[in-house]
Amino acid sequence: MATPDPQSLVTTPGRGQVVLGIGDQLTVDGSAGQLEHVYRLADPALSELALEPLLNELLTRAKDILRVDTAAILLLDDDAQELVARAAKGLEEEVERGVRIPVGSGFAGRIAAGRRPIYIADVDHADVLNPILRMKGVRSLLGVPLLVEGAILGVLHVGTVTPREFTNSDAALLQLAAAQAAPAIDRARLFDALDREHRNAVALQRSLLPERLPDLVGIDAAVRYLPARDEVGGDWYDVIDLPGGLVGLAIGDVAGHGLRAAALMGQLRTGLRAYALEGHPPGETLKRLDRMLQTISGRGMATAAYAVVDPVTGTLHYASAGHPPPVLVRGGGREASLLDVSSAPPLGTLPFAAYREVEATLQAGDTILLYTDGLIERRREPLTNGLERLRALAAVPATADQLCQLVTERLVPAEGGEDDIAVVALRIAPIEAAMRVRLAADPQVLSQMRRMLGRWLQAQGARPSEVADITLACGEACANAIEHAYGPGAAYFELETVHEEGLVTVTVRDTGRWRSPRGGHRGRGLKMIAAAVDELDLHTTDAGTEVVIRHRLGPR
Amino acid sequence: MTPYADVHFEIIGRVVVARLEGEIDMSNAGEVGAAITGRVTSDAVAVVLDLGAVEYLDSAGIHVVFELRERLSRRGQELRLVVPSGSPVATALHYAAVPRTVGAAETVKAAIADVED
Repeated sequence: MATPDPQSLVTTPGRGQVVLGIGDQLTVDGSAGQLEHVYRLADPALSELALEPLLNELLTRAKDILRVDTAAILLLDDDAQELVARAAKGLEEEVERGVRIPVGSGFAGRIAAGRRPIYIADVDHADVLNPILRMKGVRSLLGVPLLVEGAILGVLHVGTVTPREFTNSDAALLQLAAAQAAPAIDRARLFDALDREHRNAVALQRSLLPERLPDLVGIDAAVRYLPARDEVGGDWYDVIDLPGGLVGLAIGDVAGHGLRAAALMGQLRTGLRAYALEGHPPGETLKRLDRMLQTISGRGMATAAYAVVDPVTGTLHYASAGHPPPVLVRGGGREASLLDVSSAPPLGTLPFAAYREVEATLQAGDTILLYTDGLIERRREPLTNGLERLRALAAVPATADQLCQLVTERLVPAEGGEDDIAVVALRIAPIEAAMRVRLAADPQVLSQMRRMLGRWLQAQGARPSEVADITLACGEACANAIEHAYGPGAAYFELETVHEEGLVTVTVRDTGRWRSPRGGHRGRGLKMIAAAVDELDLHTTDAGTEVVIRHRLGPR
Repeated sequence: MTPYADVHFEIIGRVVVARLEGEIDMSNAGEVGAAITGRVTSDAVAVVLDLGAVEYLDSAGIHVVFELRERLSRRGQELRLVVPSGSPVATALHYAAVPRTVGAAETVKAAIADVED
């Protein structure tokens, strides 16, 4: 350790503080020990470390080499113009965070303001703001600025509990440590900022997609959205509960990445949903969406597809604006094919584009799968390979959710793709001799319930008048179950249908008590059930109410 | 008007003809009733409610019919139903004894003629 050189110690700002290195370069002496110290602090291997281990290692080495009791790094909070404790070794270790020192005040604040090393011989006779330094009995301090391209990032300082005279040589060694730390901190801050922007954009993208799918009766729907590995994309999907028991399925992909693409995606999803809810068929919906996109200033381009499915008849109407063709899975998963869609330009590319519709029919148990190109695209490979890979993969017996899971698991790398990916699958629920569904206790489900029950009854061979009678009776029982649902939160009731050798049994179970008829329409409802079907049983227990309707099919 | 039902109005002389279509259940019966009540002016002598194009009607819908009849009768106005035989809701109305208690005509023309008698 070199002896102090009183000539180079120049007193300046702050009581009891000495600014080092004014007027001459800080240098280390050429002794073997010093060179060893220099090497340890300038060690190129350090630059390979991530920020946290790098700061820890540097502080440990600096503390060791300078034979001090504590070493700490404070970083500049630019907005607040304050220094914030970031990392420490030794006495201050447990107080790494929380201490804030205004730039220009106290020991660290003056180092930051003057961008010069400062030495304090005796804390008791100096301006030291950090209460922890006093509390821990630190007597002497040496600090240097953390600089990158002349900009101040923070302060690195060391301290001893016994009085110590720090030298220019000590300051030079500490500056070496600072020179290692500063660029790493700068880089990390940049990454932090980028990472924050990325996370914000991903959160925005998520918020623009539907939070949950509508409760659809007779329909099994599932979706997946996988963000891109590095960037925010503009893919979207939507499942829309349309008037008249129809279901709309939408998917789209805005060209480009980042916040702009995500924001445009949000506008297009909303636009498509609005046109769809007005009842426009797929081709017209895309046409209107295209015209809407043409009016948005700084507009972009997007591919999109929209399908309207009637869960009762299985009729599917589909139109595409430059979007890859959907996969139809039929025959219980025995076959999968690509729907032959007519080619049309993406949205926002040609004035007065038209989007032709194609029609197909789905049987009960069939599935339509929509997706964005991220699912099928591979670098250096023709798109047809990806399409064929997906088609072959989809030919399996699966629910909508299982199919979404399968294709994303098998076609997307675990760490995410280069492009974001959206997948929507809709399966017409298969019809069996027995059916059991849980329905939201909401009057809005009644229409869907009637369609689903009608489809089931038809499949059981019920004649139109029988379908009407059983549907009316079941509708009254369901309406009653819905009226039972009080209180906050989602409530549900259960509908079970069984067909055994011509006898149809419909059971509606809820967790409320049957309201005894009071002469109003509820009493009328019970009478209507009794008039419409062969048998009506009502069981009320503490657990809830069960209405059992029995009706024999066939001429009487 | 609602996702599943709609109502169209026509004024013929001093009769308001309301033609309902779609499906009426507890999800929209209240709205349908309010829409009709809102269109009946005080100078009308009767309302003809045409249910021929209604595909589904449950007890909540029938309740609205009875309520409407009561409200009109307090104002000295009549309610006439049109339920063509074989129309989708004829059976449901029959179960609730509507044709017997309220009466029902085969056509709008017959219902209006009935008012004028």
